[in-house]
Amino acid sequence: MKRASSLALAVVILVSGTAFAAETIKIGLMAPMTGSWASEGQEMRKNVELLAEEQNAKGGLLGKKIEVVLEDDGGDPRTASLAAQRLITKGVVAVIGTYGSAVTEASQTIFDEAGIVQVANGSTAVRLTEKGIKNFFRTCPRDDEQGRVGAAAIEKMSAKKVAILHDSSAYSKGLADEIRALLKVRRPNVVFFDALTPKEQDYSAILTKLRAAAPDVVFFTGYYPEAGLLLKQKNQMGWKVPFIGGDAINNPDLVKIAGKDAAEGFMFLSPPVPKDLDTAEARAYLASYRKKYGEAPGSIYGVLAGDGFRVVMKAIEATKSTAAYMLSGHLKTGLKDFPGFTGRISFNTKGDRVGELYRVYRVEKSGDFLMQK
Amino acid sequence: MEQFLQQLTNGLAVGSIYALIALGYTMVYGVLKLINFAHGDLFTYGAYLGMTLLTSLLLKDRLGMVAGVLVLAGMVMGLVGLLGVILERAAYRPLRESPRLSAVVSALGASIFLQNALMLVYGARYQVYPEDILPQTAVSLLGFEIPLMRIVVFLASVVMMAALYLFVQKTKIGTAIRAAAIDQGAARLMGIDVDRVVLVVFLIGPALGGAAGLLVGLYYGQVNFTMGWIYGMKAFTAAILGGIGNIPGAMVGGLLLGVVEALGAAYLSIAWKDAIAFCVLILILIVRPTGLLGERVAEKV
Repeated sequence: MKRASSLALAVVILVSGTAFAAETIKIGLMAPMTGSWASEGQEMRKNVELLAEEQNAKGGLLGKKIEVVLEDDGGDPRTASLAAQRLITKGVVAVIGTYGSAVTEASQTIFDEAGIVQVANGSTAVRLTEKGIKNFFRTCPRDDEQGRVGAAAIEKMSAKKVAILHDSSAYSKGLADEIRALLKVRRPNVVFFDALTPKEQDYSAILTKLRAAAPDVVFFTGYYPEAGLLLKQKNQMGWKVPFIGGDAINNPDLVKIAGKDAAEGFMFLSPPVPKDLDTAEARAYLASYRKKYGEAPGSIYGVLAGDGFRVVMKAIEATKSTAAYMLSGHLKTGLKDFPGFTGRISFNTKGDRVGELYRVYRVEKSGDFLMQK
Repeated sequence: MEQFLQQLTNGLAVGSIYALIALGYTMVYGVLKLINFAHGDLFTYGAYLGMTLLTSLLLKDRLGMVAGVLVLAGMVMGLVGLLGVILERAAYRPLRESPRLSAVVSALGASIFLQNALMLVYGARYQVYPEDILPQTAVSLLGFEIPLMRIVVFLASVVMMAALYLFVQKTKIGTAIRAAAIDQGAARLMGIDVDRVVLVVFLIGPALGGAAGLLVGLYYGQVNFTMGWIYGMKAFTAAILGGIGNIPGAMVGGLLLGVVEALGAAYLSIAWKDAIAFCVLILILIVRPTGLLGERVAEKV
């Protein structure tokens, strides 16, 4: 009797489980909710959850509600591969994320083998889309484009001696190599090329060595926590050399960490920051974001995750399907000039976003990021 | 030569922070033969508590700069010390009779718990100390400029280490700590309350770690809930380098590690700085398996 009832219970659970699964379309979000990029991950979550809510209020997709399934990748490749497997077992049809290139790389083949579309939002390393993975896309640009814009910015500053500093991560080293290769063909002389260890707080030894190389400009390709400390400690040393950085430095916390005095004049490359998004859709979106969370989105990568979510929804809507080959087919050939918050979105056959996205920003005395024309 | 001296001061400043944290590892190991992996997180708590107390109590406005910072340091050390005692009660004492591995796993668990609790309370973003607490000036010493804060960090660490050394060597409870470190059973037979010794060790070690956290916060200005990991790792290395269980060893190990890192970065490669430091560690351990000032284990067996 006992066995019969538990069997019946199991059947009920099973039936209700499948019935529940059929009612929603599950979209995975893989984001660094913990670890050193946790603030980026939490922004990604806010954007995607807001968009899912809005879409569900409009009746969902194909008559079903959308359910966002969140997994934490911890900003760590090992955690990411586990997170990817958990998302697959939970039955997601597509995945948004993630931020760091090395982290995305660890999950790419796992999603590909499971036949799931992945749209990364912050992973700019070139090789991610050079492996021929069919269902991989990204809403952010690539580091070779960033390298070109960076090298051009250095030339414009008419610097003769250039120092390049990276942090040994896949993204940072990749971008540093790009820039060094580009500068080699042109005039400026790279007098310093080395890496720091992220998450340390004392960079005085590195700055002392950098200073001895007497560069006209220092290009740092790492992330904002280290950039902030470098600027602050450089300022304490009384060293005036200009610093320029890559898009991973685009985060308002940079100015908080460095202090306004030390951050002033710092330049970085980035896709346009949230406040410079000027299409009608973007303005409406920023307003509803502010209404829900009481503040504007701080990071462009959160908005790029939102754009990734929207193109996936668009593809599901257009193909009336959740099969990966249909979705990626539509994203590659059907989707043209989709009005994203971060500009028009189209993908090429590799899954890269088409078009120039990078701008040069300068930190003003007030601590604001000002787009340079 | 100028670069050498500059890098030497860079290394000494970082090294003195390592040394302060290393003392916590080494004191606990000395008495309990336990590596307290949550010690790095207690250091982080020091940094966060310092920031919160500083901004909420307006100590600088009420007491002036010097007195304000000293009172702040006292409060942070007291609170982190208390946290250390609670940690010992909750995570280590129930496992005192269990195999040593259980306590190590408990320590790792405590570390993860403390770190994520901090993230839930403060959020994941980087937090910043108020800028105007201490003067950001540089002083001219021997012909080159050194930020004043770096000298303060170094001196504060040295004063605390000296105080600890005198405490352990000259006071009764200090003698009890040394006795318990040599042989817990024999110490108990001599009438030493070992539980009380453990309590004192878990009060002082974390208090020094918390003070190091406060110094880091005041000097570098930026704190994050994961910062304890890398400092903890380096300090643990410093404790091994000096001979774990040995208090002067932790001080020497910390300063040496800081200097080796800075000079390795300066004259070899920055990217290989940690590798250079760990090579030095390996070389020293090959020549002296118990660390620079460590006692010879062979005699005890």
